[in-house]
Amino acid sequence: MTPTAIYTRHPDYVQRDVAGECILVPIRRTLTEANSIYVLNETGAALWNRIDGRRTAQDIVTDFCNEYEVATDQLTKDFTSLLDDLLSIRAVEEVTR
Amino acid sequence: MIAQDKLTHLPERFPYSCQWEVTCRCNLHCVMCYTDCFNRPAAIRQELSTVEILHIMDELAEAGTLELCLTGGEPLARPDFFQLYEHAIRCGFLVTVFSNGTLITEAQADRFASLPPHRLEISLHGITHATFEQVTQGQGSYDRCFQAIKLLLDRQIPLVLKSTAMTLNHSEILEIKRYVESLGSVTYKLGEEMRPELDGGAGPFQYALSEQALAELNQGDPYLWRDACRRDSQEPPPCRSGMQRFHIDAYGQLQLCSGNRRQSYDLRTGSFQEGFFEALPAFACDWKSPQEPALIRPEMHHV
Repeated sequence: MTPTAIYTRHPDYVQRDVAGECILVPIRRTLTEANSIYVLNETGAALWNRIDGRRTAQDIVTDFCNEYEVATDQLTKDFTSLLDDLLSIRAVEEVTR
Repeated sequence: MIAQDKLTHLPERFPYSCQWEVTCRCNLHCVMCYTDCFNRPAAIRQELSTVEILHIMDELAEAGTLELCLTGGEPLARPDFFQLYEHAIRCGFLVTVFSNGTLITEAQADRFASLPPHRLEISLHGITHATFEQVTQGQGSYDRCFQAIKLLLDRQIPLVLKSTAMTLNHSEILEIKRYVESLGSVTYKLGEEMRPELDGGAGPFQYALSEQALAELNQGDPYLWRDACRRDSQEPPPCRSGMQRFHIDAYGQLQLCSGNRRQSYDLRTGSFQEGFFEALPAFACDWKSPQEPALIRPEMHHV
């Protein structure tokens, strides 16, 4: 995770709330992705909802730590892992400035 | 983040999967079709409007429905089909479309390619021109269907081809299956069920295969035979329709499933929430167990 990087959610993913689960549904799926949906856990969903194309990754971690009792190191690690996953499926992209 | 193909932890009663017969209109008149009796102008005029369908679709999205199957009739026979389809995709449903394929032109294949479905299932009831059109009663339908298959394959649309085994085509089923297998990424499904027409007519049954003919057909292919043996050796589980699956007909009637329309809840006048959670649980089904089993959660349903 680049702390100063800003990420935006890709419009080709629709966020759904299904039975309390936060799901990302790709709407321009390829044949190999045809059956895939992506389920975020509670922390993942909360972080996803903070990716807004305006705040830096570090801002999001700071905001999150102010709101919840969570260790910054652990959250940074989790957010890095989530961003890697989201970038690999092109659900988020880095905003160029 | 976990990639899945299906959600596993759902409440016992949750509107996860919808089959929606968006129209009974169709450009073909397949001999075994159970909806063709309502493929008439007077009945078509009673069908849900675009606005009504979009409104109900939004209600389903709000309720958490994830799987949405658009069927007919022929769904593409609705002039507003792509408006409905693209709205459904943008709502985040996993959309499956059941089609006869014959209305899919290059332009429409491109629209599917730009927002691909979860799955597109096309009926393929014959491998020869004569048999195919004897079933569909539509001149030129054979060529148009095979052309659509090519257009969709070229665009890598997830495709399923399926046949209903009947007296008119049983000698071609294995050849159809071999053709589908030769296409590589395409799945084949064989249906054996004939249903009465929606107006109660028994016309389709005159094309039903005898049990012996079905057995002989299945014995001709190891995979069909294995599936048939598996079906025969198991007691069908109690029906779960209405628990996580439901059906909506062309007139906005919410029902347990496509095969059981004895009771309905009118989505034109009531809300989906009320229909699913309050009306549907009271609807009768001969296949339901008297008591919901506490420890077993079968996944199959009888349609």
